[in-house]
Amino acid sequence: MPPRPNITRRHFFQDCGVGVGKIALASLIADGAMGQLAAAGSGMRSGLPHHAPKAKAVIHLFMAGAPSQLELFDNKPELSKLEGKPLPPSIINGQRYAFIRPDAAVLGPRYKFARHGQSGTELSEMLPHLATVVDDIAVVKSCRTTQFNHAPAQIFMNTGFSQPGRPSMGSWITYGLGSEAKDLPAFVVMSTGSGISGGAACWSSGFLPSSYTGTRFRNAGDAILNTSTPAGIDPGTQKDTIALINAMNDRRLRLDGDSEIATRIANYEMAYRLQSSAPDLMDLSSESKETLELYGCDPKVPSFARACLLARRMIERGVRFINIYNEGWDAHSDVAGNVKNNCAKTDKASAALIKDLKRRGLLDSTLVVWGGEFGRTPMVEASVSLGRSQGRDHHPQAFSMWMAGGGIKGGQTIGQTDEMGFNIVKDEVRVPDLQATILHCLGIDHERLTFRNAGLDFRLTGVEPCRVVKQLLA
Amino acid sequence: MLRFSTATLLALATSPLLAVDFNQEVRPILAQHCFACHGMDEHSRKAKLRLDLPESAHGKGKSGELAIVAGQPDKSELVRRIFSHDNDELMPPPESKKPMSDKEKAVLRAWVAEGGKYQAHWAFTAPKQAALPQNGVHPIDAFIRTRLAQAGLKPSPEADRYVLVRRVTLDLTGVPPTPEEADAFANDKSADAYEKLVDRLLASPRYGERWARRWLDLARYADTNGFEKDRPRQIWPYRDWVVKALNEDLPYDQFSIKQLAGDLLPGATTEDLIATGFHRNSMLNEEGGADPNEYRFYAMVDRVGVTGATWMGLTLNCAQCHTHKYDPILHTDYYSVMALLNNADEPTYSIPPLDLEAKQADHARRVRAAEESLEGKFPGGAAAVEKRFGEWLNEESQRASKWETLRPSKMKSTMPTLDVQPDGFILGGGDISKSDVYDLAFDQAIKGAVAIRIEVAPHPLLPNDGPGLTNYEGPLGGFFLSEFQAWQGERRLTFDDATATNDEEEDRISDAAVAKPATKVAAKAPAKVAPKNAKRAAKAAAIRKKNNAAAALDGEMSSGWQVLGGLGQNHAAVFHFDKPTDLSAGWAIKMLFEKHYACPLGHFRVSVTTDPQATATGHPAEIEAMLAGAAPHDQAKLRQRFLETAPELAVHTKALTTLRKQVPRGQPTLVMRERPETHPRPTFLHHRGEYLSPKQEVPPAVPAFLPALPKDAPANRLTFARWLFAPENPLTARVAVNRQWQAFFGRGFVRLLEDFGYQSQPPTHPELLDWLAVEFVKSGWSMKKLHRLIVTSATYRQSSVVTPELAEKDRENLLLARGSRFRLDAEIVRDGALSAAGLLSTKMGGPGVYPPQPASVTSEGTYGRIEWKPSEGEDRYRRSLYTFIKRTAPFAMATTFDAPTGESCIARRDVSNSPLQALTLLNDEMFMEAARALGTKTLAAAADDDGRIAFVLRRCVTRPPAPDEIATMKAFVDAQRARKVADKDIWTAVARAALNLDESITHP
Repeated sequence: MPPRPNITRRHFFQDCGVGVGKIALASLIADGAMGQLAAAGSGMRSGLPHHAPKAKAVIHLFMAGAPSQLELFDNKPELSKLEGKPLPPSIINGQRYAFIRPDAAVLGPRYKFARHGQSGTELSEMLPHLATVVDDIAVVKSCRTTQFNHAPAQIFMNTGFSQPGRPSMGSWITYGLGSEAKDLPAFVVMSTGSGISGGAACWSSGFLPSSYTGTRFRNAGDAILNTSTPAGIDPGTQKDTIALINAMNDRRLRLDGDSEIATRIANYEMAYRLQSSAPDLMDLSSESKETLELYGCDPKVPSFARACLLARRMIERGVRFINIYNEGWDAHSDVAGNVKNNCAKTDKASAALIKDLKRRGLLDSTLVVWGGEFGRTPMVEASVSLGRSQGRDHHPQAFSMWMAGGGIKGGQTIGQTDEMGFNIVKDEVRVPDLQATILHCLGIDHERLTFRNAGLDFRLTGVEPCRVVKQLLA
Repeated sequence: MLRFSTATLLALATSPLLAVDFNQEVRPILAQHCFACHGMDEHSRKAKLRLDLPESAHGKGKSGELAIVAGQPDKSELVRRIFSHDNDELMPPPESKKPMSDKEKAVLRAWVAEGGKYQAHWAFTAPKQAALPQNGVHPIDAFIRTRLAQAGLKPSPEADRYVLVRRVTLDLTGVPPTPEEADAFANDKSADAYEKLVDRLLASPRYGERWARRWLDLARYADTNGFEKDRPRQIWPYRDWVVKALNEDLPYDQFSIKQLAGDLLPGATTEDLIATGFHRNSMLNEEGGADPNEYRFYAMVDRVGVTGATWMGLTLNCAQCHTHKYDPILHTDYYSVMALLNNADEPTYSIPPLDLEAKQADHARRVRAAEESLEGKFPGGAAAVEKRFGEWLNEESQRASKWETLRPSKMKSTMPTLDVQPDGFILGGGDISKSDVYDLAFDQAIKGAVAIRIEVAPHPLLPNDGPGLTNYEGPLGGFFLSEFQAWQGERRLTFDDATATNDEEEDRISDAAVAKPATKVAAKAPAKVAPKNAKRAAKAAAIRKKNNAAAALDGEMSSGWQVLGGLGQNHAAVFHFDKPTDLSAGWAIKMLFEKHYACPLGHFRVSVTTDPQATATGHPAEIEAMLAGAAPHDQAKLRQRFLETAPELAVHTKALTTLRKQVPRGQPTLVMRERPETHPRPTFLHHRGEYLSPKQEVPPAVPAFLPALPKDAPANRLTFARWLFAPENPLTARVAVNRQWQAFFGRGFVRLLEDFGYQSQPPTHPELLDWLAVEFVKSGWSMKKLHRLIVTSATYRQSSVVTPELAEKDRENLLLARGSRFRLDAEIVRDGALSAAGLLSTKMGGPGVYPPQPASVTSEGTYGRIEWKPSEGEDRYRRSLYTFIKRTAPFAMATTFDAPTGESCIARRDVSNSPLQALTLLNDEMFMEAARALGTKTLAAAADDDGRIAFVLRRCVTRPPAPDEIATMKAFVDAQRARKVADKDIWTAVARAALNLDESITHP
């Protein structure tokens, strides 16, 4: 008997014998057996969406290290007047800092601000490209977190908890909504900088089935690990090998009747398809020169710009949740230089992503989120022993983010901080509020997407009350 | 055909009388839907009604209505409210978003109709061994078959002998049997062939390695610290201890007590200390600027949760922020359990090797020889030595000053403990913070004091030998003295400069976390006070480093005097008053230690001099005293000091210094050490579980619903550990047995291995669970006996084939009418492939190894990146237990196959089935190496294709292949030949396919 050229799923569900014949493919998939690599259009949990979704997918541009809101979004001229003097202790209110003392002197904004677009949204001169799409974005100047160290704060932003072990937003969302991706993972993670403090905990599936873990797309070697056929195995042998494995597994399925074998057969088919779908995705030769220039992307060089363009291609292919990390915003010294460098890497591409999605009609169904894990202090960081000056320390009390696209009302600015940019005075948006809002745009009620673990029904947004930020919604 | 749901299967089996069973059916509903507002948490309790207590449930609520009227559901407010159509009255209220199902409502109604009687929760009363329901069969089978009969099911026949030998070998050793081992069993016709096999496997050293891995999931073992920096740590001796203990079948009670409190055991051995690494596996955040005490608190939170999950089957962590919503665990109970575990310091312990004394003696000999050889190497011989020594004595006597060592009359510190030693040195310990202050007061009156000297020296009890207490992030064992002050009453005394013995050393900026500024901005130089002494002023001007002794006088907290940690770091700083100063009783010094990491001093001594020319000479105090005429000359010692400081001998002295630092040490590992009785650590309740909201101190205790701690023993870790194994403790044995059962059958009697509370699904076989729990204790807590008992049952030995009947009636195999078939753990998948390929090393223990994996796994996207250099030789193919575990970027293959990262305690791994697993097995370098090795073996194994195919399949799936399997594979071989693929590559491809078979990675 020659090996079958290809074992189709239809085949084994139609004529495989004992036990499994009556188990429908849909139920296998719905069990989450295949997780975020399930077939397109499958895996939606019953009862979901809870309401009509505006967005189908999310691109989270994670500005790891924490950008300085005071050099980008939150213009505080008062700080220039006070430069060199400490803030009153009543404002500091016992806040702990990573490096500075609470009595450190104030540092004025390093850059000029101007208003842009019909909305008149205020942005610093470091964001000239974002200024061109300003009417599509909603800036939130009143974000607040509970964490003031990078790893816990990044893990908190992603999982709703400051210690590793809980499912990340991408895992929750793909667990709830399933996959629409054709031969690609539904939850993808890219990193374009010096390294993510929170590590793999940021895209972990936590206690959800582990197949909902985010799939890393890497810069060197295979984008998805092991998608290249090894040296010494020619394409014909690779194809025949998978057919052979599935033929042998099919035989075992008939004898043992274990539905897991059916899933494994489907997974070998998917693995084979991934070997071409992942390189296809990464191949930017079909992108026009104009598009490459729009992003500022050199197709051969891994960069934030390339990751943004890849994200658009993933959106076109139905990927549900995309994390792009740009690390390096941790401006403990020379905040001006830090912001300048990071904006050079990210501003053009972030704006290009909005434009490109919009002109392809994808922005309405794609939620784009831009922001870091916390903000930076109005006070200066300087240290003789560490050789630092003109920097800013970590600031959890107030920071800025922006959102655009599916479900978001663009051309607005939400929230306000005090004259020092230290505390929020209007429309506080806590991290769980952001998470609840993102889920809301996808048609998910954050209180109803739960998972029983260790004696509790866990949810992304934790046990404390939180809110969907209605002002943000279109 | 009748299909059973889990609930009906359970109900059928346990409730032959069809009455509603409170434990099985009612309490889970009450816990899920009612206890959050009507349970034991008085803060969240509504309407003053408690449904967790019968006396409250049968009494009047706030409305005056009776919640439960026995036997009269229509008069019971509870029933009325759950069936209400009025959203204002409906319970649970609609806003809870957890509506009760019709079936659940019906159960409650029926329960009230039957009298609404409560039962104690099964898991909270001690297990009893019921009489065996059948005689003449294995006890496990007696229970299982009785249950099957109730459900109208029959057990499956015994599995094929090859399946059996593969299953039991994988289960007990974590590696597949060789074809020869399998044949030996298949051909052994003796009646006890299987028992002999089991006993051989239990005695194999592979047994400990296999079962250690499961235990390490609970222990959250890893080889790095976690969080951002994720630096390597050395705690693998703990991992090796677990392997050894399991191989020796150390009774589970001893095994556990040693891990929780080995340091407190009378006559604690080295091994007992290593075992306490269990709770040192919690993570350590070394991120720049993190608060060490905050992360120590989180580590304690982790330890309480892990203890609850591992030994108690309780979700204690649910009570961190408030009283448990479902189980009878108060908010204070949580912190009382924490208090039991919270009184330990966390040192690094050097495991003394067996020949330590010999090594130390040898080292001392070598040091002495090097010291004695110095003189002979002096250029110019004896005459030159004499001449130079005379000059040296003269010069150094001029520089030396007479110092008086002072013992403080009072010591106060923000956090570290301080104790004066007999030699006048002050030894620090305990907890440290990012801003520590030492206040030392002195009674000695001194007229005309010129300078204060702080000597610092290593000490074996300090991290990295001190002299500082820094134990994370910064230079280990270092310190950073930001400011140094002296006070006479309210009057601040003034210094004009300072010198230190390490002023010539390079500065070290220790925080690797700092992003390099794009444009270098010159840091502000520290403000310097101008010394009046011209010679010292010239020297100070020459010092380029920013962190020197004078920087501790500049009023700037970010600069100061720093000494890095490690042996040989004997240094001193001398702080000069601006003028001779009279000190009278009660004068004091204040030392401030502040940096982005905690950096206080750990071993130091204070002296004062009235000599105007005092400086930091660098001589040991004893030598300086002789030189200054304050002590009689010891010519030998002075001469040795001269030789060691003579520039003529610098190169030899350097070698001697290096040799001195190479003190023979043992392998370091992380341990627990109970704090001294003089310095207990208090534990506080934390409002809402927040680190920043400590409230009242709580005493060490256990929750009241469990048996009490013994009254005649101190309430500490050891007493707690022993209490877990007290005969009346209802949980420990059950939790352990349930976990073992899950390992063999893929599912525990209680599904969630870490939760035996009110909300847990009741056990599938409560009587068997209890029988085994009691038996486990009776056997002296022997794991091997328990494992033997399980694998010798007919239940375990059944075929795992899923017949259509079983697929319909019991798809999840809850009642065990067949064997269990499930994918093997990540480690067993890899070890199995290496074993099939003949590559697997049997070397045991030692530091983590680095099997090949794509470089991007640890080099990209992770802050604490490392270069993963694949091990060479045997270490490339060690058992996966020994693979280096990096928490933030774990070994890719392991993650893909559901192995934990070591970031949290995992009682039960997920068993996923994903395309990424297929890609790994197909294309990963390590599996390709296995395929090539197996292919080469295969080619040589037989002369014909059929023989080779049979060989390769047996290496992977153990059993002899069927003719149609050989035909299928032969067709593949022929197809490749037709395409002119080289023979070597064909057999690699065949081996690769065989390694990828579902059967190769499955518990059969």
